[in-house]
Amino acid sequence: MTIVATDSPAAPALRRFALRGYVPLFPPFAVLLLFFAVPIGMMIGISFQDPKTAQFSLGSYQRFLTDGLIIAGLFRTILMSGLVAICVTVMAYPVAYFLARSTSRWRAIVFALAIAPELAGVVLRTYGWLIILEDRGFVNDALIWLGLVSSPLPLAKNLFGVVVGLTHVVLPFGILALLTSIQGIDPNIEKAAQILGASRLSVIRHILLPLSIPGTVSSLLISFTMAASAYATPALLGGARFKVLATMISEQIMFYINWPMAAVMAIVLLVLMLAITFAGGRVETRLHKKLNV
Amino acid sequence: MSDIDIELISVRKTYGNALVVGDISLSIPKGEFVSLLGPSGCGKTTTLNMIAGFQQPTGGEIRIRGRNQAGVPPEKRNIGLVFQNYALFPHMTVAENVAFGLRMKGAPRAEIDQTVNTALKSVHLEGFEAHYPKELSGGQQQRTALARAIAPRPSVLLLDEPLSNLDLKLREAMRVELKEIQQQLAMTFVYVTHDQEEAMAMSDRVVVMSGGVIAQEDKPENIYNAPRTSFVADFIGKSNILPVSAVRATGDQREITINHSNISLAVGSDQAGPPAARFCCIRPEDVRIIGGEAFAEGANVLDGTISKIVNLGAHLDLWVTVDRDITIKALVRSSRSDQLKTGNHVSISIAPAAIRLLHE
Repeated sequence: MTIVATDSPAAPALRRFALRGYVPLFPPFAVLLLFFAVPIGMMIGISFQDPKTAQFSLGSYQRFLTDGLIIAGLFRTILMSGLVAICVTVMAYPVAYFLARSTSRWRAIVFALAIAPELAGVVLRTYGWLIILEDRGFVNDALIWLGLVSSPLPLAKNLFGVVVGLTHVVLPFGILALLTSIQGIDPNIEKAAQILGASRLSVIRHILLPLSIPGTVSSLLISFTMAASAYATPALLGGARFKVLATMISEQIMFYINWPMAAVMAIVLLVLMLAITFAGGRVETRLHKKLNV
Repeated sequence: MSDIDIELISVRKTYGNALVVGDISLSIPKGEFVSLLGPSGCGKTTTLNMIAGFQQPTGGEIRIRGRNQAGVPPEKRNIGLVFQNYALFPHMTVAENVAFGLRMKGAPRAEIDQTVNTALKSVHLEGFEAHYPKELSGGQQQRTALARAIAPRPSVLLLDEPLSNLDLKLREAMRVELKEIQQQLAMTFVYVTHDQEEAMAMSDRVVVMSGGVIAQEDKPENIYNAPRTSFVADFIGKSNILPVSAVRATGDQREITINHSNISLAVGSDQAGPPAARFCCIRPEDVRIIGGEAFAEGANVLDGTISKIVNLGAHLDLWVTVDRDITIKALVRSSRSDQLKTGNHVSISIAPAAIRLLHE
């Protein structure tokens, strides 16, 4: 930069030219600033207010850390999101592998089926699951009719129901994350392992899984953050009996009209997701280096 | 050499209506270096994949060491395979790559270490054990792939154009090395390539394939000197292929007439060419430019005009038009480039024994 500044008369023109390159970035930057950064700043501001007097207060933070019900909600969120992340990734893997490797005509159909759920809205799909899982739902009716159970199994309004519903919602994203990663693995590498005597299982264990770790980590991260931030599915399938941070935030606003408390919860949720994403990113980079992929 | 390692019996492969490999029969004795040679799409790679077990033949039978391989998966065939793009395991070191086959077979640690050392030594990669494939040059990756394939001591090694990603110098050096390794191990090599020089340089036997069938199968020198079809003559080396309109036999001597011309050529009596020959093949190096170079008594002499000269360094490619539509290529030493210019009238001579008759 100093060289340009000292001996080149074209330097200001160059700099102006360089600036011009950033012009297309201004509108999105302005939108983000106005509708993302500013609201987050406001949220942080509100979180430090007293709910009654609007004076500066650390009360809401204090309550978050000491209220057992809220802490339980936080752990429920982590448990639910972790389970969804694992379920999605385990279920998405074989589908993604098939999509990455298959040359059959079924490939297009499977791909459409894998992505199609995204076309129906989240609320619609969640009501669908409710009809299937609730006490007088399809599954319980069938089980009772068959005489396998005498009273309905608790399939909805609990952790199980929410995890099922969210897994369905998030699955396509897991598939896409893994698909990209598996497509990057040369099929000849699997063939090479096979011809060297590796059984199908050994190929998966020694070749496929290690080489697709980046995709697996992405799938886990995406699923976790999507599950943790989901509102509609836990609200409908979890209800009042299974509260997570997202539903508790809305409860604070709608029922208790306690914006500072809602803001604190939202900040905790945000920090949780940032921490998970950051940690996952670190793990992924480390593995990337180690795997030489 | 009576031990047969690989036997293909009327093997065919079709995709719907498309015939990829049609009724190939081939038997490869133990310790032989066989090349499947042909242009892309001739079915050579499909044949290799069927031997490896990655593709199933539509018809016929593949036997390895006498055993029918129908239904036997690749991992149970005990054969090695070197891929064109090497397909090394990127997350494993060179040593781990080479050890993989033995690990899968459940060999003891000490044996694995020793075999890995021997394999790496035989491909001159000692000292690279701890390197990852990404840190190696193309040639080193190639050697790693080779070491990985031979380490479990397969009875047969299949090679799918393994040298095509290397530069010319390295490719030529590797040809010599591959042949040496093959002889040291006394292992059966099946080498797929579209590069005729590679096939000629290394093979005990060359199988020329075209359109899914075997066009000719013979020792390299016979493939070159006695091509059976115009396809083989054209594909292997350079050649002048001229259409023949008539063959006349007068006692021992035979004479052919080149289609659409007044050119008649005497053909050697030693070769048992087909009676209904439709083409003849003349290698450019057998065409002499008269003046300076001595030519044999009784040779065919034709007059013509030099229409094109391409300097190849050591040699010149010369196109001599001897009739309206008929141009004959000649290969001459470039020391004569001073005397030869485009447009010059020259006489060329072709010994009768150098003309091969082909019926298709």
